[in-house]
Amino acid sequence: MASFGSKVFLSLGRTNVSGVGFRKTGNRATYATALTVNSSTNKARGGKGSTGRRPKRGPGEPRTEKMALDQDWTSVYPAATPFRANAIPLPLRMGYPVKRGIPPEKKGNLELIKIPNFLHLTPAAIRKHCEALKPFCTEWPSALDTDTKCDEHFPVKIQSTDYVSAGPSIRNPSARVVHMKVRLSCLNLDDHAQKKMLKLVGDRYCKDSDILTITTESCPLRQQNYDHAMYLLTVLYHESWKIEPWEAEKTRADMEEYSWEDSTSQKNILDTLLRINLAGEGEEAEVREQLLGREEVLEYKDSVETLKNEEPSERNMLRYKEAVRKVLKV
Amino acid sequence: MAAPCRHVGHHIQKNGRFLRININQLFACRSFGLTSALQQQATDLHKESKEAIIIPRKKSWNKEAVLEALASTVQRDPTAYPYQFQDDPYLSPRTSVEFKLFSLSQESGRAAAKYFVNSNPKLFTKDFAEPHIPCLMPESVALRLEEVSQEALEERISLRKVSAAVEMYDQLLQSGTAVSMETTHKLLDLICLYCDRDPVQEGAPQTEDREEEEEEDGRRKPMGRRVTDFLKFTWKENNNAERIFNLLPERDTRCYSALIRGMVKHGAYAKAFNLYEDLLNNRLSADVHIFNALISVVPDVRKKNNERWDLIAELLNQMNEQKVRPNLLTFNSVLKALRQFSFLAKTFSPQILNEMKALGIAPSLATYEHILTVFFYKSASSGPSNMAVLQDVLTELEGTSFTCQDPNDVLFFATAMKLCLDNKDLELGYKVHSLVEVGENWRLLGDSYQQGLYYGRFFNLLCLMEDIDVVLKWYSRIVPSLLYPNPQGMKNLLQALDTDSRLDLLPTIWKDIKTLGHDNKVDLVEELLSLMARDEHSVEVQESFAACALDVKSVFDGRPKKEWSTSSLSHISILLLRANKLQKAWDMLQLFKDKNRVPSGALLSSFLTACRCSASPQRAVELVQLSAAFSLPTTPELAKRTLAEFELNDEQRSIVSEFEAAPEKEE
Repeated sequence: MASFGSKVFLSLGRTNVSGVGFRKTGNRATYATALTVNSSTNKARGGKGSTGRRPKRGPGEPRTEKMALDQDWTSVYPAATPFRANAIPLPLRMGYPVKRGIPPEKKGNLELIKIPNFLHLTPAAIRKHCEALKPFCTEWPSALDTDTKCDEHFPVKIQSTDYVSAGPSIRNPSARVVHMKVRLSCLNLDDHAQKKMLKLVGDRYCKDSDILTITTESCPLRQQNYDHAMYLLTVLYHESWKIEPWEAEKTRADMEEYSWEDSTSQKNILDTLLRINLAGEGEEAEVREQLLGREEVLEYKDSVETLKNEEPSERNMLRYKEAVRKVLKV
Repeated sequence: MAAPCRHVGHHIQKNGRFLRININQLFACRSFGLTSALQQQATDLHKESKEAIIIPRKKSWNKEAVLEALASTVQRDPTAYPYQFQDDPYLSPRTSVEFKLFSLSQESGRAAAKYFVNSNPKLFTKDFAEPHIPCLMPESVALRLEEVSQEALEERISLRKVSAAVEMYDQLLQSGTAVSMETTHKLLDLICLYCDRDPVQEGAPQTEDREEEEEEDGRRKPMGRRVTDFLKFTWKENNNAERIFNLLPERDTRCYSALIRGMVKHGAYAKAFNLYEDLLNNRLSADVHIFNALISVVPDVRKKNNERWDLIAELLNQMNEQKVRPNLLTFNSVLKALRQFSFLAKTFSPQILNEMKALGIAPSLATYEHILTVFFYKSASSGPSNMAVLQDVLTELEGTSFTCQDPNDVLFFATAMKLCLDNKDLELGYKVHSLVEVGENWRLLGDSYQQGLYYGRFFNLLCLMEDIDVVLKWYSRIVPSLLYPNPQGMKNLLQALDTDSRLDLLPTIWKDIKTLGHDNKVDLVEELLSLMARDEHSVEVQESFAACALDVKSVFDGRPKKEWSTSSLSHISILLLRANKLQKAWDMLQLFKDKNRVPSGALLSSFLTACRCSASPQRAVELVQLSAAFSLPTTPELAKRTLAEFELNDEQRSIVSEFEAAPEKEE
């Protein structure tokens, strides 16, 4: 029926247009005319009133009325879809309350449609999905049953993210980022290598957890970023073991930690002690040696180092005070 | 994470040589080239007491396997609208007519969009999709090659431009270029398929020529014919296909095949047979497609049964002689041709099935459909014993998943369900339905018309045979997502409700009837009203019935053309009375007068009773007057009752006593 109607009226349209003489626009016009005329004939045929328009089509009742109480919700919302008020049998309200009233209802509520919903990920759905995905998984090695064992055997950890979204393209540029984490204690580094490594990586090392994180995102593909991260780790390791000739020029200012030997504090305390004649008699150098061996001086040394290396706290200051008093015998 | 460790270890090993060279720079205590990974490998070698860590091999799967696995967790949602429509109660179809209209309009919109994209390819060059989706990009529909050459001919053939291809071929012949056999085959196939006319471009206006040709043929069809009839053309004498065929220096089986199949498709049956004779005379062997085509038109060529069978047998014998292997369609065409005469069909169908088995061809659903029809509908004696055939068929097909191999496959389920309905066999009906639910078999239910037939018959069977709870369960499952019941189906449902005395559900059924658009079917509405008005029910049920009756009335009022009938008016009045809606019932009486219908005496006496309950004597008097106006025989009794039961003042009394006396005097 529809196509016959369209054919008849297409010919009508064409005769009209050929009179006007515009062929090209005529094509589109014929198509449009066919549709409108068709709908009007439909109205006449299917309409309930002989004169006047068809009665207005009612909005219809939402399908929540027909939903059984024990229906399978995972079939109603199988995938992530926007909120559909007629398919969700919950009396939700959302939005700023109408004046002296309540938040607006769910029908036609844009606020509910805008936000992401997780109606497709109810616990029942997740259980079903896990069951369905189990065949794709392999078994976990039985020897790796604790976290420590995993860390011990596989100290390098790689993390990357996959993105899924609805759109014309499945690619997402953020998927190329690779994070590589490794504990520095797993790497075989001596003191010098450790210090050099820390200087080389700078911010990427977290002191509290002893984890070095290398994030690579400069290459366009994830595989390339992974290779780059591995290369960086290897290079860092080897570089930190090498000793360059210019490293001998390391000054006191480059040191990571404060060491008391040969510092101004040592000189000062020794000079002070000599001046106040607490030291014994003898040559300068021997006296200094002797002083350094004394217990109070050692305690003083500890307290100064603690103050400088750790965060200043009440306890450290008190310890320093005690040490000073002991040394100066005050 | 074995991979990174192995990776690191590998690096260490590679650089080991450098480390050895620099050994004097290393600290003495440092062991050579060890990271914890290598340590691990070393310990693995040395300490077998430690448990070996076996990393299992990664499984591989194809791209869609994960999605398919997740999709298998989802079942059909019974309340959902058909998936191609918007999920909104306003925008989805409510009746079968709307369903057809909406799906056709969607398709036509898509075709229009495709047409615009293809005719303006320069506007659609940017490709957003990643990975590339070829069907969204413009296809080339315009010809690119203009010169006279074989490539240009091939291009026209692939773009399905029949007349242009024929022209190009003629030009090639004139210019003396030889056209290869392959291309000639393709050209003949093209011409015969489209019956020498250009195929209709989707969405484009038809050409002038086609319209004129239509008129020439005198194929002015009346309104209401289906689209497919327009596309059936007749094979004209000496059209291009025949002409080219005759011009060919040598004709082989494929050329004959193209022509014979074209003739069969477009109605020139006798010619097809003549051409086949020609082929035999030229001592060529036909192929299986030719035989299939010829067998399928045997009924049109021979009129008498035994002649038909002889011809089929002859064709089959020739097929055997020429060592052409029959395929599924051969057997299906034989069965289809034999449908007309059941005796022979009955005799030969087991033989046909055996042959198929011997050849290793699995029968398709079309085969079974032909067999079922032959055994049940064309035979004189069909009885319950024949259900055994259907039983056997279903047992054999149980759990099998089908693909469509024959266009007639889609008729199987509808026919099987019709059989179950006619023989009122519920168990077999359930078996057929379970076959539909296996795997992808729902695709073989056919288009919306066939699907409507199948589900309609299934639902009718359920209404007849099952008790009401099961019926209602199926009703909620298949209506309206899979089936828009027709008025007969709704009537069956009403019958089922009546049988199991669940008449309290009638108002909900009325709502569904209204949504389905069957509220203009007078007999259905009348049956509904009579069921409601027949018996007395509890108070809430009466209330709901009265509301329903008012709804029916408003529907009738909205349609001034439709005629009220006496019974519907009286039913509505009774229902309103029972629910004590006296004023509305009184309006109904006025309607009686307006529509020139006569109420029954019983109705008026029940009115009187209601008036007594509400103690309105004026009404009673009016009632008596009304009854007299309709010249009902019960007027005197009414008058008597009024006088007896009501408190009337003198005026009223006088009026009423008039009527009590002599009804004959009043006209």
